[in-house]
Amino acid sequence: MTAASVRIESVTKRFSGHTAVNRLSMEVAAGGIFGLLGPNGAGKSTTIRLIMGILEPDEGRIVLFDSPHGSRALSQRIGYLPEERGLYKKMKVLDHLIFLGETKGIGRADARKRAQAWLERLGVSEWALKKVEDLSKGMQQKVQFAGALLHEPELVILDEPFSGLDPVNAQVMKDIVVAIAAEGRTVLFSTHVMEQAERMCDRIAIIARGEMVVNGTVAQVKEDFGGRHVALGFTHDKARAGNILADRALVAHVDDYGASAELQMADGADPEQLLAALVREGVGLRRFEVVEPSLHAIFIAKVGAEAATAHAGVAA
Amino acid sequence: MKKILAVVRREFVERVRTKAFVISTVLLPVFMVAMVLLPALMMSGGDRASRVAVVDASTTGLGQPVSHALESEKLGNGPNAKSRYAVQVFPATSDDLAKVRDGLIASTGFSGDKQKDGWNGVLVLTDDTLATGKLSYYGGNVGSLESMSKLQRAISGALAGVRLGKSGVDAALVKRAMAPADLDTTKVSDGKLTGQSGQESFMIAYFMGFILYIAILIYGQQTMTSVIEEKTSRIMEVLTSSLTPFQMLLGKVLGVGAAGLAQMAIWGGTVFVLSSQRTPLAAAFGMSADAAQSFPIPSMAPGLLLVFLLYFALGFMLYGALYAAIGAMCNTIQETQQYAIFVTVFIIVGFFAVFALIKDPTGPLGVTMSYIPFFAPFTMPVRWSLTSVPPLELVLSLALMVATLLACVWLAARIYRTGILMYGKKPSWRELWRWVRA
Repeated sequence: MTAASVRIESVTKRFSGHTAVNRLSMEVAAGGIFGLLGPNGAGKSTTIRLIMGILEPDEGRIVLFDSPHGSRALSQRIGYLPEERGLYKKMKVLDHLIFLGETKGIGRADARKRAQAWLERLGVSEWALKKVEDLSKGMQQKVQFAGALLHEPELVILDEPFSGLDPVNAQVMKDIVVAIAAEGRTVLFSTHVMEQAERMCDRIAIIARGEMVVNGTVAQVKEDFGGRHVALGFTHDKARAGNILADRALVAHVDDYGASAELQMADGADPEQLLAALVREGVGLRRFEVVEPSLHAIFIAKVGAEAATAHAGVAA
Repeated sequence: MKKILAVVRREFVERVRTKAFVISTVLLPVFMVAMVLLPALMMSGGDRASRVAVVDASTTGLGQPVSHALESEKLGNGPNAKSRYAVQVFPATSDDLAKVRDGLIASTGFSGDKQKDGWNGVLVLTDDTLATGKLSYYGGNVGSLESMSKLQRAISGALAGVRLGKSGVDAALVKRAMAPADLDTTKVSDGKLTGQSGQESFMIAYFMGFILYIAILIYGQQTMTSVIEEKTSRIMEVLTSSLTPFQMLLGKVLGVGAAGLAQMAIWGGTVFVLSSQRTPLAAAFGMSADAAQSFPIPSMAPGLLLVFLLYFALGFMLYGALYAAIGAMCNTIQETQQYAIFVTVFIIVGFFAVFALIKDPTGPLGVTMSYIPFFAPFTMPVRWSLTSVPPLELVLSLALMVATLLACVWLAARIYRTGILMYGKKPSWRELWRWVRA
């Protein structure tokens, strides 16, 4: 299980003057769930399209399964859900899934069986003979999801798989993704929803403006980010906490959510000092907890900082 | 290969299932039947047996031979054909001629069976008739030029017979002498008989050119539309990850082509059935066999059919590949128009070349056109049907077409590969060239 499913080696992709991916290197190990995180326009979809061989890199190379072949030759081993969902609107759901299976090299009869099983599993089997255009957006997405997984690929690449889904359907999809990983297969998905990535991923990579920002296991990323973090929940008199939270000797950074906040302690400052100060001021607290930094906090800090230094660089 | 077949099947099945396909497949044969039957039905009025009253005011009994001649005129050519005229002779003298005539005219010109003893026409013979050939006809159908000329011919024959008989010529000899000339036209090319009549040659040439023209325009555009559709529905992205552009393109062109061919086969089959069954069909619609025969539905020789199908398939794929490439370059149907016009011009030039070719099938224009792959699908089958094409020329023309087709599919696949993911941006010609080289 040590062989890399995807190895991206110093890949650059430019679109008419604008660099979408810049000397990006990363490795997705076989097995587990890999999260590709980044703000909008960071190059997540471009990276995925490069992996899928839909786009050709201008520089660098991408190796799949340590094989010399491109993704198209290996397409039987890869399942792909693009960000831009698309199905033939006039086709019947079952026929469509069979066709998608066939393009992956599965025989017709086998594809039919698998398609029916998947529709069953996703709870849309009563729609099998309906046209795609008669389905709701969420249901279409489920159908396309099934189409990407029909051939039981060992590498599943999902571009923003949970966007546009209601919580119930997102839960169904999440369970399937987790089940795939539990079978020892590899899932690579992109998202900008950090909470989801934090809960699901074994490893993550955060990219911004086409460049790698952070890369590693979730625990490792958090450890490297360092600092001590405190999660606060307020009940009343939150205004009185204002001065304390603004004290840069005590608090390095605050992420204020209104009724709660996540903050990073300043170097050398002690969470107990903070608690004492808050109690002294009479701030009503519901929660005070020393925590690991959330991916969200890391993301904001890293990507925000990157953007800031980049702007500074341009200005200088 | 299996993947191409999957694409072909999808394109074919999805296309054939649409309402538009079913409707157009059914409607065209209905339209064809109507086209054949309607004019025939309209003209068949002149072909019903007409009741003619012959008023014989001559002193020589001219009524007898004239009514005889009219009664021997048949509707159609068969041995069981019915008489064209039902004739009754009314003798009259020069005194009561006007009275008899007017009495008969009073019951003439009623449509159908409104008047039981009605006449379609009244023919008046006098002594003058034999001498000067002058006679009068009063009828409801004098406007029908065909009916009048038939009537005139029959009477002329009868009068000539009577005159010759008066001069002492034997009646049998008169009959033989009066037998009409029967012109049978047959096309000759390069010193060989083609076995087709002149009219049929023209019909076949025109028909083939037209079918091809329509098929390429309709189905070529469909190929283009279907590429655009795949781009707008973004299904392309899933497909490009598992299929090569060549597989997608070839599958699409073949699939749409197969649907087109299926439709053509249904239409062609209808024409075949119609033409082989036209006599009973005509009878079913109350028309005489003669009327049906007057509409020649061309039959194709097996060799010609083969050449036609070969060029149809090749030409279709060639244009289909071009249309697909245009689809790959553009994002909306409107955008495709400025590129599609070039292809349409090729098709139209090819189609109209057929008319030049019909005039002069062996001329340098026709020969040159049948080597140019974009025009060959139109011109070569027509040349083949009009003259005899040396096998070497045919092989050369076919080889050129296959080579161009492959080049086109390759070129289209190159553009396709880059173009399918170019959303929202129309390429310049220079960019197109870069895509092809990429």
